Amino acid sequence: MTPEAPHIDWAGLSPIVALTAGGIVVLAAGLFRGAWLRRYGVPLLTLLTLGATAGLSIWQWGEDKAIVSRALAVDDLAMFLNLLFCAGAIAAVVLALRDSSPEESGHGEWHALLISSVLGMTVLASAQNLVVVFLGFELLSIPLYVMCATNLRRSKSLESGLKYLIVGSVGSATLLYGLAMIYGATGATGFEQIATALSSQAGLIDDPLTLTGIGLIVVGFCFKVSAAPFHQWTPDVYEGAPTPVTAFMAVATKAAAFGAFVRLFDVALIDAATNWSPLLAAVAVASIVVGNVGALTQTSLKRLLAWSSIAQAGYMLAAVVVADREGVEALAFYLAVYLVMNLAAFAVIVARERETPFGDDIRSLAGLGASRPALAWPMTLAMLSLAGIPATAGFIGKFTLIGATVDGGYTWLGVAIVVGSMLSLYYYLRVVAAMWLSDVPVPAAREPVPAIAGGSPELDAAADPEDGAGQDAGPDRPVSQAEATAVAVLFGAATLFFGILPSPLFDLARDAGSALGLL
Amino acid sequence: MDIGWYLAVSALVFCTGAGGVLVRRNPLVILLCLELMLNAANLALVAFARMHGSGDGQIFALIVMVVAACEVTIGLGVIVAIHRRRLPVDVDELRELRG
Repeated sequence: MTPEAPHIDWAGLSPIVALTAGGIVVLAAGLFRGAWLRRYGVPLLTLLTLGATAGLSIWQWGEDKAIVSRALAVDDLAMFLNLLFCAGAIAAVVLALRDSSPEESGHGEWHALLISSVLGMTVLASAQNLVVVFLGFELLSIPLYVMCATNLRRSKSLESGLKYLIVGSVGSATLLYGLAMIYGATGATGFEQIATALSSQAGLIDDPLTLTGIGLIVVGFCFKVSAAPFHQWTPDVYEGAPTPVTAFMAVATKAAAFGAFVRLFDVALIDAATNWSPLLAAVAVASIVVGNVGALTQTSLKRLLAWSSIAQAGYMLAAVVVADREGVEALAFYLAVYLVMNLAAFAVIVARERETPFGDDIRSLAGLGASRPALAWPMTLAMLSLAGIPATAGFIGKFTLIGATVDGGYTWLGVAIVVGSMLSLYYYLRVVAAMWLSDVPVPAAREPVPAIAGGSPELDAAADPEDGAGQDAGPDRPVSQAEATAVAVLFGAATLFFGILPSPLFDLARDAGSALGLL
Repeated sequence: MDIGWYLAVSALVFCTGAGGVLVRRNPLVILLCLELMLNAANLALVAFARMHGSGDGQIFALIVMVVAACEVTIGLGVIVAIHRRRLPVDVDELRELRG
């Protein structure tokens, strides 16, 4: 008797297969000697892989099935998030084309790490099993730890890599211990079986094991989505990491972690909602307050966006607390909007880091409105959108979030979002004012230490002539940043477009929201 | 033997690891403490697998071991890179980035 081979749904697995194959090809292509192939061929192959993954995800749109013995879900929520990861990664590849970090760490390795991180996100977004949740988290985090440290000559980058590694691993270990407790309480690792066990066995919801498990899982997830009070690593890591990596990390990690968050809590643990919703609501409010207050005094743009991302994590947590279809819809919509507006802002920061000697300081934006309107407009739109000003995508996103909280019976969380947004206007408008209301500063002769080179400038200048040239460039010196400008304009335009015509994106978010089968 | 004892040991190991991460300053020791936290979870998983009489927990523990090895490898790599830049290998001294 020959054993029956299990049925493998290759169509459902195709995005994962494409990413795995692409990662291997990119890593191998990086080994070739030709400089042109490494510099342009590897990014091109990476873009092809990501494009193919996005295409396969669109192809699988509308499917609703569970594959690999029900451990992975292929549904619209997973596919929607796949598209977000691919968009974030494509933007990161384009922004990194002339960055020093792939140069220093090897193009093949850098891009292969990026692809494996996207692979981890894809796995996490469709996880239907505790084992897969943990595996997905680690698969997305471990490459990111390395990518943060890829500016090998810049001590800040190495420091941020080590900090992220330690804090991220503590988060993972806490999460894992929580997952073990849930397994111990319910005796199952599949989300559906956990939900069945929690609803059928009396007293299991208030079992000490379940409660400890939920508490530890919440802590682990808060580390990953950078929610208060587990947010302290965020500003340091965002500032120290190479900016294209920061851009990718900020938008894609958040989307993946919230995808897993919503699946685990709103599907597997939904019957224990009375126990976890007050906890999550408190974390959401704490994040909104801490993030917005922390951002008020920042002068580094990357740190400012890091604090703002803590506040935004609080807004999005409110949608998880609501735990109904409308909440998931609002979350999916907001994640897409968050991606668009943050990528526009980060693209401008990348361009200005190379054009001015101020690094990512807010001074690098001074007078941008007059000198580079093609960069100033996307940044303005991104800031207004993050603050939630009408006619931008961020307004529609906040509007749906607040609508979901009010309909879900958490009006006070909606009020917290509104108050947080009002507070955030101060620091977002400070950036806008720096661009349009101040003059171009004259840099002092020797004072500037650009973030892009730092450490030992002589070494860097010798190793990378492009960066050496960028160091001496005054604010008026025309340096072509065509690809960063293109990314900024594209996502800036998208911010405006989805602010005026949100319905195409909203239809996608509605499909994604109904995938979980909530009321 | 009662499962409670296994859980007690596991919780003790987890707390030792978490405490070590908080108070120790050498990144190598911190990595060791992270290993303790992960292995505490492994112990709990295997104990629960025995209690429920299913293999899920043991498979989970095997996967965790692989992941833990990856994490340590990356951690050692970063520490070597820091050492090469002659930065202090002491997490309290690494404060160019201030929260």
